[in-house]
Amino acid sequence: MKKRKEKNMGQQKKDTAGRSMKTKMIGIVMPIIAILVVAMIILAYTISSSIIKKNARDLLDSSISYQSASIASWLDENLSAFSMAKQQIEKTQMSEEELQKTLDAYYNYNSNYPEGLYVADMDGNVVKAADSEKTYDNVTEASWFKEGLSRVNMRYGTAYESEDGESVVSASAILDDGTDNIRVISSDVSLAKITIIVNSFVQMDDAAAFLVDSRDGTILAHRDSSLVSTTLNTSDSDELLAAVAQKMEERDYEDCELADNLVGFDTVDGTEWVLVSYIPESIVYANANQLGLQMGVIAVVALIILLIAIERAVHMIVKPVRSLTQTITTMADGDFTIDIQTKGRDEIGKMGRSLQNFTVSIRGMLSEIRNISDQVSSQSGTTSDLSGNMYNAAQIQADSMRELNSTVDQLSESITEIADNATSLAMVVADTKTTSMKLEDCMEQTVSASEKGKNDMNKVSSAMDNISSSIQKLDQAIGKVGTASEEITNIASVIGEIAEQTNLLSLNASIEAARAGDAGKGFAVVASEIGKLANTCTESVESIVALIGEITGLVKETVEQASVSIKNIDESSGMIETALNTFDEIFDDIHTTGDLINEMMNKMDQVDDVASNVAAISEEQAASTEEIHATSENMVVQASNIATGSQSVLEDAQQLSEDATTLTEQIAQFKI
Amino acid sequence: MKKIICFMAVLVFGLCVMAGCGQSNAEEESADGVKMYMIVSTADTFRQNLMDAAEAKAEAMGAEITIKDAEGSLENQIAYIEEAVDQGYDVVLCNPVDVDTTLQLKLAAGDLPIVFWNSCPDEQYLEEDKYVFVGSNESDAGQFQAEYILDKFADQDTINVAIFEGQKLHSATLGRTNSLKAALDDSGKEINYVFDDYADWDTDIAKSQFELLLKTGQSVDVVACNNDSMALGVIQACEENGISFDDIVIVGVDATEEGCAAIVDGKMQFTAFQPAVGQGEYAVMAAARLAKGKSLEGLDYLDDNGKYVWVPFERVDSSNVADYQ
Repeated sequence: MKKRKEKNMGQQKKDTAGRSMKTKMIGIVMPIIAILVVAMIILAYTISSSIIKKNARDLLDSSISYQSASIASWLDENLSAFSMAKQQIEKTQMSEEELQKTLDAYYNYNSNYPEGLYVADMDGNVVKAADSEKTYDNVTEASWFKEGLSRVNMRYGTAYESEDGESVVSASAILDDGTDNIRVISSDVSLAKITIIVNSFVQMDDAAAFLVDSRDGTILAHRDSSLVSTTLNTSDSDELLAAVAQKMEERDYEDCELADNLVGFDTVDGTEWVLVSYIPESIVYANANQLGLQMGVIAVVALIILLIAIERAVHMIVKPVRSLTQTITTMADGDFTIDIQTKGRDEIGKMGRSLQNFTVSIRGMLSEIRNISDQVSSQSGTTSDLSGNMYNAAQIQADSMRELNSTVDQLSESITEIADNATSLAMVVADTKTTSMKLEDCMEQTVSASEKGKNDMNKVSSAMDNISSSIQKLDQAIGKVGTASEEITNIASVIGEIAEQTNLLSLNASIEAARAGDAGKGFAVVASEIGKLANTCTESVESIVALIGEITGLVKETVEQASVSIKNIDESSGMIETALNTFDEIFDDIHTTGDLINEMMNKMDQVDDVASNVAAISEEQAASTEEIHATSENMVVQASNIATGSQSVLEDAQQLSEDATTLTEQIAQFKI
Repeated sequence: MKKIICFMAVLVFGLCVMAGCGQSNAEEESADGVKMYMIVSTADTFRQNLMDAAEAKAEAMGAEITIKDAEGSLENQIAYIEEAVDQGYDVVLCNPVDVDTTLQLKLAAGDLPIVFWNSCPDEQYLEEDKYVFVGSNESDAGQFQAEYILDKFADQDTINVAIFEGQKLHSATLGRTNSLKAALDDSGKEINYVFDDYADWDTDIAKSQFELLLKTGQSVDVVACNNDSMALGVIQACEENGISFDDIVIVGVDATEEGCAAIVDGKMQFTAFQPAVGQGEYAVMAAARLAKGKSLEGLDYLDDNGKYVWVPFERVDSSNVADYQ
């Protein structure tokens, strides 16, 4: 859940990052470019407009200079002509007639001064060209005359309107002919020509000019002919004229901006005239404004193009990043199966290639991890099983150990029993021995009895001769023989009982020996030998009994036959011989029985030794068994520990198995 | 960004410090090793005084100065300038033979800065810290004359003025005349210009013109001359025609030896002294700065546009004429 949440968060982050990377780049670059472009446009506009203004001002200056120079040169041209004429008149000291001729010659000589020259004296007499129809009244009060009196070199005076209504300006000066008669020579120049220069020689489109006499502010030339000859007034309704009037009063002839006009001033050399040229600022700035507009359009277009170009460029740059982001997103989701397309040798290309390498190595690593986790999983399963088995085995082992322990207990008890038995066996053997000794005695008695019987027989043989006399005695002797037989039978049955008992003991000993395992083997052999001896003894006893029975019978027959066959003493003698031989055989047999009993006695000794040994060995065994018991107790404890240990191993193995399963599941989330 | 700001700050600070140093040392500059080449159009008394002062000042500052006389020849002048360039001079101090040839002079000087003196080229040919003019503002002279005249005739509503101008279109003529007339016209008094003509700085011309003025019978209260020489011509005419110097006020410009003598004699009332020594000294100080590639900023009398150094005229009348003799 937590993981998923993180993943989701990561996804969101990536998404926003993907969106914002482009917007961010454009968001950073575009404002900068926009600011730069706007700054450049503003700078360019400022510089251009100042250049345009400067150019306009320069153009206005050059235009005005040109106009003013034109006026000056036009004036100079005329003035030179006047000066030449004046000098000619002064130098030659002409007579009135000559003067008249000269003045006549200048009449209509030049269209600039059609009236030519004229001369006036202090008395108001005027000498003019003969054809001139111009009239001069009140000459001495005329400004041209007064002004002429103030100089020797011809100079233009103030403009005025002549009698015939034409605006003229007179160039006048004292005619210094060396006489005391002070005269003023003058010539009128029409302002029409100057008006043409002023109005038409403007070198700048949309600019205009007018000429002002700085001495009294009279407008000498102006496009608006109604203004000509009027005087500039600072309270003029025309703002420009009023402003120019102000400047003129201040004699400030610097270029300036007046009433929304760019205004230039220039003095006309040789005069006190000021040429004023102006151009509406709106026209000057129109260019700048148009330029500004064009620049603005260019800026907008440039910005749009830049925006598109940058958007495209950023798109191109971000595209691989986006695909990489997509790839990384997919990878973050655990899918490493994607193939990364990398182009270009730039950082992003390198990044893509590195990512490609990364996915390849991750893919390898993941498959390896998956294999390993599978292995771990299966192995942990196996381990779990194994540890379960082990636990079971340990349990079983512990149980077995406990069982073993009890078995050992039992063994110990058995061994103790064996020891006891062996001890009692030994005692029994001892008893048997004693009994056997008695049997030996009996046997000796039997032997002596037998020898006595033999002797008796011998006596019978001798007595046979006295048979008739001795039949009584024989009857008695036969009685005696019967009694002895009964006693032998009794003894034999005793021996048989002992043998049977020995046989039983040997069987018992065999069984015990068999129980004692290998340790009892030797003893078992002895026991069986004892058994065999006992059997043999029994058989012999039975034979004795049977023989005695026969003897008894025979004796009885003998007695009967003796009684019956006294008469058949000869036969009886052979029969006694046979009886004597039989006695010998019995004697031999009793000897053999005695030997056998002796042998049995020896064997009984051996049995006693063995039984003692068995008892000792059984004691040792019992001790060993105790040790075994103690050891097996320990083993039981350890087996329990092993069982407990294997329990926790089993739990761990199960945990491991679970973890391995989880790991496998998680690894399974990656697609490779 | 920060670095740029820091750099700018340091630069501005440095410039301020340097500017501050420049200003504080304005009066005690030395010009060790600077080679100056001074050319006069034609040596006259005034210019000679000026050149002597310049030489003394240059030596005092430790500069080497060479002085040449073009003898009124533009060709000579250009040749001298080229020589200055060839011989590795640092700055040219030039009194143009003809101010209209300024561009030609500048071309001849190549990269060398030029201090123009005595004759002022048109403003458009001057350039801050490169081509400057050291002189006195001619309009000062006319202004001082007008002030003297108006003071003299303060109780008179009408003043009959005769003006003797220098050469036509000469900068001094225009400067002195225009300022004189402007000041008089602006006084509110009725000013009658009974005579106003070019006497070309010449004593004799002025004398004959004044005599002619006398013939016209016009009354004259004051004669304002663009220089003392012309005033002397007027004085001579007065003397010859028995005009009392009590009845006529004659003012000149330049405070020449003769002019001062005339003031002492009571024949002339006023003159404006154009300080040749000051002009010479300031020409050298300006030249020293330009030679070292330094700005004239902080130099006394520097015009706002940095193209002119206006060493002021001085008023001379009977009260202080002794100082100028």
